[in-house]
Amino acid sequence: MKKLLLVSLCFLMLCITQVFAQNRTVTGTVTSKDDGLPIPGVTVKVKGTSVGTQTNTSGKYTLSVPQGATLVFSFIGYETQQAAATGATVNVVLVLASNQLGEVVVTTSLGIKHTERDLGYATATITPKELTQTNTTNIANGLTAKVAGLAVYSLDNGVDPNIAIVLRGNRSLEGDNNALIVVDGIPIPGGTLSSINPNDIADVTILKGAGSAALYGSEASNGAILITTKRGANDAKPTIVYQNSIQLEKVSFYPKLNTQFGTYGGEGSYRYPGTNNFLPAIDPLTGQTAYIPYENQEYGPAYNGAIVPIGAPAGSATGPIEMIKYSPYPTPPIEQFFQTGYTEQNDISYSQGDAKNSIFISAQDAFRTTVVPNDKNIRNAFSVRGHRTYGIFSADFSFGYTKTYVTTYNSGTTNGLGGINGIGGSYVTNAGANDLYSSILQLPAFLNLSTIKNPNTSEFGNVNDFYDAYAINPYWTIDNSRREINKDVLLSQLKLKLEPSKWLDLSYQISDNFGINQERDTQAEVDFSAYGLSDYFSAGNVPSGFRGTGKAPGQVADYYSYGDGTSNPNPGYSRVQGDAIADFHHKFFTDLSTSLIVGNSVRQQYLKEMGTYSNDLLIPGFYNINTIAGAIAANEASYTVRNIAYFGDLNIGWKNYINFEATLRNEQDSRLSKAERSFYYPSAKLSFIPTDAIPGLKDNKIINYIKLYGSYSRVGNIAIGPYQIQNIYTLAPGFPYGSLGGLTAGTEAFSSTLKPELTTEDEIGAELQFFQSRLSINATYYNQKVVNQTVPIGTSITTGYSTTLTNIGETQSNGEELQVTGQILTQAQNKVGWTLGVNYSNNDSKVISLLPGITSLSLGNRQFAVVGQPFPLLEGTDFVRDPQGHVVVDPNTGYPSTAQGLTTYGRTTPQYDLGLTTSVSYKFISISAVAEYRGGDVTYNGIGGTLDFTGSGYTSTSAGRQVFVYPNSVIQTGPNTYVKNTNVNIENGNYGFWQGSAYASTDYPYVSSGAFWKLREVNLSFNLDKFVKQYKFIRGATVSFTGRNLFIWVPKNNPWTDPEFSDTNPTSNLRGTNDIRETPGTRIFGGSLKLTF
Amino acid sequence: MKKYILIIAVFFSIGITGCKKTYLSLEQNPNQPSVSPPGLTLSGALVVAVANVNQSYSTDGIWMQYWSNSGNFVPDPVSEQFQITNTSYTGVWTNLYQNLTNFNNLQISAAADPTLTSFEAIAIIMKVYDFQQLVDQFGDVPYTQAFNPSKYLNPAYDSQQSIYNDLVKQLDAAIALASKGGTSPGTSDIVYGGNMANWQKFANSLKLRLAIRQSTVNKSNTAAADLASTASFGYLDDTQDAEANPGYANQLSSGVSQQSPFWAAYGFDVTGNQTFPNTYYRGNTFFIKALTNFNDPRINQIYAPAGSGVTNIQGNAFGLVGTTVLTNSFTASIGPGLLISPTQNAVLMGHAEACFLQAEGILDGYITTGTAQALYQRGITASFVDMGLTAAQATTYYSQSITNVGWTASANQEEAIIYQKWISLVGYANLEAYLEYLRTGFPVLPNPVSLDPAAVSAVLPIRQYYPLSELTSNGPSVAKEGTINIFTTKIFWEK
Repeated sequence: MKKLLLVSLCFLMLCITQVFAQNRTVTGTVTSKDDGLPIPGVTVKVKGTSVGTQTNTSGKYTLSVPQGATLVFSFIGYETQQAAATGATVNVVLVLASNQLGEVVVTTSLGIKHTERDLGYATATITPKELTQTNTTNIANGLTAKVAGLAVYSLDNGVDPNIAIVLRGNRSLEGDNNALIVVDGIPIPGGTLSSINPNDIADVTILKGAGSAALYGSEASNGAILITTKRGANDAKPTIVYQNSIQLEKVSFYPKLNTQFGTYGGEGSYRYPGTNNFLPAIDPLTGQTAYIPYENQEYGPAYNGAIVPIGAPAGSATGPIEMIKYSPYPTPPIEQFFQTGYTEQNDISYSQGDAKNSIFISAQDAFRTTVVPNDKNIRNAFSVRGHRTYGIFSADFSFGYTKTYVTTYNSGTTNGLGGINGIGGSYVTNAGANDLYSSILQLPAFLNLSTIKNPNTSEFGNVNDFYDAYAINPYWTIDNSRREINKDVLLSQLKLKLEPSKWLDLSYQISDNFGINQERDTQAEVDFSAYGLSDYFSAGNVPSGFRGTGKAPGQVADYYSYGDGTSNPNPGYSRVQGDAIADFHHKFFTDLSTSLIVGNSVRQQYLKEMGTYSNDLLIPGFYNINTIAGAIAANEASYTVRNIAYFGDLNIGWKNYINFEATLRNEQDSRLSKAERSFYYPSAKLSFIPTDAIPGLKDNKIINYIKLYGSYSRVGNIAIGPYQIQNIYTLAPGFPYGSLGGLTAGTEAFSSTLKPELTTEDEIGAELQFFQSRLSINATYYNQKVVNQTVPIGTSITTGYSTTLTNIGETQSNGEELQVTGQILTQAQNKVGWTLGVNYSNNDSKVISLLPGITSLSLGNRQFAVVGQPFPLLEGTDFVRDPQGHVVVDPNTGYPSTAQGLTTYGRTTPQYDLGLTTSVSYKFISISAVAEYRGGDVTYNGIGGTLDFTGSGYTSTSAGRQVFVYPNSVIQTGPNTYVKNTNVNIENGNYGFWQGSAYASTDYPYVSSGAFWKLREVNLSFNLDKFVKQYKFIRGATVSFTGRNLFIWVPKNNPWTDPEFSDTNPTSNLRGTNDIRETPGTRIFGGSLKLTF
Repeated sequence: MKKYILIIAVFFSIGITGCKKTYLSLEQNPNQPSVSPPGLTLSGALVVAVANVNQSYSTDGIWMQYWSNSGNFVPDPVSEQFQITNTSYTGVWTNLYQNLTNFNNLQISAAADPTLTSFEAIAIIMKVYDFQQLVDQFGDVPYTQAFNPSKYLNPAYDSQQSIYNDLVKQLDAAIALASKGGTSPGTSDIVYGGNMANWQKFANSLKLRLAIRQSTVNKSNTAAADLASTASFGYLDDTQDAEANPGYANQLSSGVSQQSPFWAAYGFDVTGNQTFPNTYYRGNTFFIKALTNFNDPRINQIYAPAGSGVTNIQGNAFGLVGTTVLTNSFTASIGPGLLISPTQNAVLMGHAEACFLQAEGILDGYITTGTAQALYQRGITASFVDMGLTAAQATTYYSQSITNVGWTASANQEEAIIYQKWISLVGYANLEAYLEYLRTGFPVLPNPVSLDPAAVSAVLPIRQYYPLSELTSNGPSVAKEGTINIFTTKIFWEK
């Protein structure tokens, strides 16, 4: 492989040579004793001379030295070491300096390395061990709850879940608030994070604010996650690491359900099997509802253990009728339906290197099934990374290819092309039966699902015989309505570097990152029998809706995109980027260190998408757009974004205890009109170490390190899409009719005067270390102001436009972040090591102004921006209340009614986020855990409405389906007089109240706190290195047992679902509403084995 | 040092080369055009205009007793209990103004080009057609300050009478423009294929509609006074109506049905299965009884029996709840005289309505040629023929000595005209039937009109609320309209 690498790199070996007479060349690698990883940037000098060099990113150096010389290796944070240059290879292991504080090297913007003490802003670093300690398949999950101010949202629980990563809360009202993801110095498309193998990661740095990421410009206005991937190994030894992990996944949180009442759905009369007469379904005397054997709603009589018929006779009117015990089945249907998911990951990596080059090769196979039967995600990732140094010239390359195959049931979500590509979960759209989860929630508690498991063949489960006249068999959906996705993602980059002088580095970096997404949704044709169409119960059943043709034809939708490889729900852009950077650095008068980095960055982002669709396939089971009746629905779109930036970064440090940094970036972007295209972003940062600067503070036994820092920065955020600067015409609906075309004016007004949103951020903070650094505290306060929010404001359609995209208003968000790490016991002194970490963040947001005269702006999805309030703010309908807040009920029916207008329920993003991390180690055993609390927000649970509709939720049975006085209600007796309601019961405690009254059509009952506690991660690992050493070929072995999201605790007013779930897409800011597309929350547990050779 | 400068210079040139001056100029949207030729605007807007009137007024169909809500579903608070809010009918307002925006764009661009007078004339006529729907349902609406966002971001509301008066002037201008020749709209005119004489007849009929709508409260209104000036252009009648067909087809285009709008909304999807409204809007006992009492053979064209053993036309009374509600297995669905084919013409103004308008115009003295009886009978015949029956059947029908069927048997001839108009407007012109009911009180509906005990009124609403979108985006203007009560705040032409 090494030879192959040399061949592949030989074209890079330009004719640059360095000749030093009489000397010989010594090479070597400098690694850290702490973690065995190579250390870049180590100064290597020939003792007593000024001859020297630095190690490269792989920790390697090459130096021409005279005979008999001694080499001096120095690097901040490490003890300086000397070594005689006796051989051709001199490898050195550096030991961390115990008294050097704040000298951890942090990778910052553009891959520039700084010592931690120089930084004027808050950062956080996650080690690979922390990242992958529970074998997550997605890097984002490994970051959860570990950094103050970083919120990772798992938006659903699917096989290919959507994840949002937000730093320091929302800034933009409508634009993207996701952090920029940067891999090895180059931003990658947001959707490709899930394509990166977590085991390839060497280091993750979080740049929390706009200031820290200012050098990345408008893309990083929401902070950045910098990922450094592994390069070659230390020394010349080839290393092979094999890792296997297996995890199981089970439903951990589903709604509390009705276990008391069977089926009835509001009918006045019904036809009982075996008779042709209609019987009243409500007892006129008692008001008791009858058991209706074909209903999808559960408002029937209480379970009594009798044997009752269910559904229509099978096959024909004279066929057998299934008899069933009218009492809850021992396993609730929801538990019968969801299975145990299984994830297996196999990883193998090879790394090798010597002084001049290094290589890292990894391959991963990750196979995952989830709790939904038939869903699968298979990911195969392959990557090669390497480094080559030749004199003053070096090259670094990275190539990663990931193939992902996903198969899942159709959930009706469409992709970016706006509607035609996306097939619902079933052939009927009645009462939410389109969605899988909704049809599961229509299964009554007394049902044994084994009789309906085969939706195409079984007697009581097929489309004609399904016991439920109005819903569909959920097994039909998972068998017959499928989405298959193939994603091919390629991430590649090449960096060429020239170090012509010790005060100058020049580098040019080019990257091409793209993905191809192929998606096919299919839905099988359904052919109904004459018996099914005849509607045995005369109930208006599902098949009777297809009497026109007796069938629901098959559907197929294909979607292709060239972009970042994602499609659900929106595709992202591919990107090609070139960065040229010149880094000047020099130290004057021994104490004044300076560096100036100037650079230029040019990028193009491109997305092309095409889709076809038909809902009228001619041949059952043959999914091809050529074999259809009617016309093909097809569409296409392409988008290009180009951006040119120039930037500079000046660093001035004095005596290692004061550092000033200033950056300036100019950006020109194709999304803006020519007049608005060019803009500047400045930033300034200062850090100061009093414990080094002030003699009196030195060598203090209690406080041994203090750093104070602050920054001011301004960054723009281009929150408009390409081409949103001029009005458009779109195809008029239904056109073209033959050769006749037609257009209609777009209803959103655009303007060429649109500007970028402008974020101004001030940040101050302090880092304190106590008791020989066993306790460290990092506290930060930030204040962000955003002006020119780019928002589509609602305009009167009488102007010709229903919305106008415009720059308005101002928002503010500020917050505190606190990160405390304590080494309570150290293994060296106490045999048992125990560390405890707390990270806490508080984010306050506020809309300061919108437009003059406008104090509220709808953001969609029940969420608003309201002047003086946090954003986004959940507003919804509420009951009519008296001035004290009591619900006013009707004096006759006892029912509440819906108030006109909207009530404010609260912010939908968590205000508080608390993460707790701990690890205990004893000998070769270590155990670690991560827990997280989020709170201060509210959620609208769309699933609540479904549960009340079906009657399958616990809430509607909480009063035993009896009448009751609406709690704390009042009755209005005069214009402003209300009396406490003590005796007016609700008219009907069953269907009437829970489904027929304003209760079910008002938002209030379905709003809950968004708070939760989650036990995010638990890891128990055994380091068996010393036991396997006897086998020469094995160098290390680790066995671990892991668990993720093992427990969740939520407030009592949320009996529905994981409040982290949301029905919006990751780039939307309107989290805080969920519906029935998100299947229940799960816990994951398993084990892994890691072998090093 | 020189070496370094050279290296740096070469180095930066790598980054910047390739960046031509036009590199960042990507204003041109490759996905959607930023201009629209007049022909494409015209065809697009006409298709939407006719779809609006054929599809949007289901609730009016319920209220005019053509249909009842399906017994398969829980009661609908809006249509059956009149629990109407300012979001219940937002669609109608938005669709009409959106459509008007396109006609207005067309009017402006055509007015700038002297060869496009025909396009301009059609744009004006269609604006009148849309604006009358707005005024008749909402009263005062933005008119003079509409469609000018750079000047009026919050357009003021014009008084309904003044809009009506201006619509008459606009029609006169359009009729004059239509005589000027100019480029023919050709196939982009999906109504008349560029025949401007027919557009003049349509404009004249709209003027008659404006006159008659006001006639109950003000017989000598400005529209009526102006009728004579364009009487020579004639009116639509049983020989010429206003129907559109861009080439309707039983297929989807980009996921949107290309079927005739009435069929698409109330009939069957492109695969032949029932649409939701087809299962939801079912036979109504009041209408069934009326047709049966009149011995009207159109009953089997307006309704189709439930099938599966149920061969008679059955329905539910409007708002009926409880144990006697019939499910879809028993109730009639919309019949073959209305759902003719997926490619049937879409009706802007039908033969029958045009005849009945003239009949009433003659009664009122607005029209001086022809007889009311003849036009009344031609209207009935046109309705029979349009529904697939014969003129002979029509003659048999109107020769019966039954009040509101036979001309001479009807003491109140205006009532007879409105009753027959009511029957003829079923389905595709529900709004017109509802408006004529509000104007004349015919047909006489049950009291209370809805049997649903939760109904908040014994009578139908007489207008709509301004939509919530207006309150939030044009608040100050709409506030000047005061409090609207949909049961008592009258449109100016209502009694």
